[in-house]
Amino acid sequence: MSTNLESRSPATDGTPAPRKILPSLVTGQEGVLIGIIAVLWILLGLLTPAFLTSGSILPLLVAVAPIALIGVGMTFIIITAGIDVSVAAAIMVTAVITSQTMVATGIPLIPAVLLSIGVGALLGLVNGLLVAYGKIHAIIITFGTANVFQFIGLRFFGSSTVNGLPDTFDVFGRGEAGRTLGIPHSFAITLLVVAVAWWYLRHAASGRHLFAIGGNENAARLAGIKVKPLVLMTYVITGALVGLAACFFIGQGTSTLEQSVGAGRELLVIAAVVIGGTSILGGRGTVFGTLLGAILVQTVTSGVTQLGWPSQLSDLFVGVAIIAAVGTDILRERSRRKS
Amino acid sequence: MSEQSTTPRIAMRGISKNYGGVRAIRQAELTVQPGTVHALVGENGAGKSTLIKILAGAEQPDTGTIEFDGKAVSITSTTDAIKLGVQTVYQEPQLFPELSITENIFIGREIKRGPRVDWAAQAAQIHELLDMIGLPHKLATAPVGDLSIAQQQQVSIAKAVAGEASILILDEPSAILTDTEISVLFSIVRRLTERGVAVIYITHRLDELFEIADTVTVMRDGETLDTYAIQDLTVTKIAELMVGGIVTEKREVRSFDDVVPTLELHNVDVGQLLRGIDLQIRPGEILGLYGLLGSGVAEIAEAVYGMKQPTGGHMLYQGKRMVNKGPAAARRRGITLVPANRSAQGVFSFQSIRFNISIGDLAKLSPLKGWINRRREREIALDLIKRLGVKTPNENQPISAMSGGNAQKVVIARQLLSTPKLLILAEPTQGVDVGAKEEIHRLIGHLAESGTAVLVVTTDLAEVLRISDRVLVVREGKIAAEFGTDATQVDILAAASGAISTRNES
Repeated sequence: MSTNLESRSPATDGTPAPRKILPSLVTGQEGVLIGIIAVLWILLGLLTPAFLTSGSILPLLVAVAPIALIGVGMTFIIITAGIDVSVAAAIMVTAVITSQTMVATGIPLIPAVLLSIGVGALLGLVNGLLVAYGKIHAIIITFGTANVFQFIGLRFFGSSTVNGLPDTFDVFGRGEAGRTLGIPHSFAITLLVVAVAWWYLRHAASGRHLFAIGGNENAARLAGIKVKPLVLMTYVITGALVGLAACFFIGQGTSTLEQSVGAGRELLVIAAVVIGGTSILGGRGTVFGTLLGAILVQTVTSGVTQLGWPSQLSDLFVGVAIIAAVGTDILRERSRRKS
Repeated sequence: MSEQSTTPRIAMRGISKNYGGVRAIRQAELTVQPGTVHALVGENGAGKSTLIKILAGAEQPDTGTIEFDGKAVSITSTTDAIKLGVQTVYQEPQLFPELSITENIFIGREIKRGPRVDWAAQAAQIHELLDMIGLPHKLATAPVGDLSIAQQQQVSIAKAVAGEASILILDEPSAILTDTEISVLFSIVRRLTERGVAVIYITHRLDELFEIADTVTVMRDGETLDTYAIQDLTVTKIAELMVGGIVTEKREVRSFDDVVPTLELHNVDVGQLLRGIDLQIRPGEILGLYGLLGSGVAEIAEAVYGMKQPTGGHMLYQGKRMVNKGPAAARRRGITLVPANRSAQGVFSFQSIRFNISIGDLAKLSPLKGWINRRREREIALDLIKRLGVKTPNENQPISAMSGGNAQKVVIARQLLSTPKLLILAEPTQGVDVGAKEEIHRLIGHLAESGTAVLVVTTDLAEVLRISDRVLVVREGKIAAEFGTDATQVDILAAASGAISTRNES
């Protein structure tokens, strides 16, 4: 290294600081979210004693799983200052292809999951290629592909639902088959994915590059970061996770797959990511926050139902949470500009 | 200086580059020895940036060869350039606001163990780098977005030198730095050349070359002129080389009646940016303001137009004390500003030409407040399009479909509509072709003849001489010199870049 400068400064000797250059372990927003979730759970537990029982918490975690899972991919995308609004349509496409294949051929669990992941990744590849190489904003691209995916999905459905699904995906479901030692498999898998993604974003060089791309894409390119392949990767990963999440959705459902599978989920996923502290402007975010965001959104939804309140109220609460999260983000950015 | 080597670190030969039909540089030559500071100077648009971008791999040349340490190389991407050790510090800090200083410095060349960033190894190096650029250690983990612009620039330099820099390109690093920060910069640069790094230094502040540069290459109109040793040069000599032998046609000397000046500035300060500015401009007069980036020249216009508040002194407008809370207040007095970056500030690009003209003075179109008389709007637009020679099939064309020159004419046309008493033009012909430039200059002349006082802020030397009755040169927040119509480009450039010292060496 031509610039390994002579050690001039006495201050560098014996300073125990080095390790602290790591990104901080838990961000402020994650702390706040854990607090809010804890308060909500305690309140709900007091108001409806049934809430804090495994009969109530476990289905909540099962419902959180696919949202948080896709949220991991969406976090990657939003960190690079992109977005993917096609995930709901992608869920439908992967779910219908996988279901019809299972009904027609009776393929076992592993090949079925791999098929679903493969189809999802392919859809993600389409998004990724267009976004990374098309130079058009991601929201426009994925809004377009969402409509195309919607069309493709409905063509597979034809005019009806997919009936007579085998019980292959019950391992991801709500029932006894979906748990080991009381832990829902789908949630355990999600936790594993979150953990791997958390490590990747925090420690892997290419993970850090995603933050660089979202912070200043031009500077990232100048720094020799391979911007396009990395952006492409975030969409492929999201697609693959959509494929896996589609298996969860099928497993959680009945033996009939409705055409409405996945509908509206993209907003829940984006809500979870944004509430979890990922900046919609790019450059900042964590998957742990996304998991917490997904739990918070699901807690609100379940809580409203269990309290017997009108279900629109959960939309209201989620909406307020999104505005609060984005609002703090914008205020933070603005105060920075001023200084 | 360290030992002179006969093999140049980099030799660029016969480099040409066209953008569309426009020749950015042709047959450019640049040879830089290791361990030296090689200055690259030239007016805006002379081709410095293009040449540097080619070396940094951000642009590909159409012709030419590049040799690195005597071996022919091809640089087809920034990655190629970085592999050769070409590091660039751009004028605007190219940083990542949400990442820490440490991460910003190491990004793209992390010290890794497997796929993982080796935080401890990076930490071991960061403190030395922070010492070198003069930032406290505790900032190692601070997000760069929380730093000042000057600090961000220091981080950019640390980022460049933390890599295996064999060539360090500094693109106008001093423009946004204070004197203290510049001396820090120079000490860093000297330390690097001692190590054998070749430094390419781009600046408009010619005086600082005598402090830091070993050799100077001058660019003009896309060509590289000779390379000189700094001992053989003076500020005036460099200025002469930069502008060449061009003789601008002189404006005739016009005399102005002893009427009340439209605008007077008395001892105006704006924070640290402007100190003790005095100027006056009379009806019908065209006053040129010339200054380099960061000289404060832009702030004068902003202070007059109410975008920045003076912190000292006072302004008189038509003989009366003026305080503008904002641009709206300035406009009510009859002051208008045509901004430099018209794509960002000046035009509504998806709207029609008609809309863009009439938005200038909607009141004129409305018998009733809030109503717009469509027919009148159309008539006015058509009249102006004809008078200005704007080339467009019809008045409903979106402005985004027009050339830069025609778009700028539309923006100036908007001012004609309200015939301002004081018109401030920032870079009125930046990026427009020669023909349109002529017409815009003529237009400005017409406006002045009708009694408008015109303040032109420009970095185009030929332009400032051609249209101004008087030229004020701004340097380091002060008026450095005043010229009449008999000034030459060299006079102005030399004054702006430091030959005439206005520094208070107190």
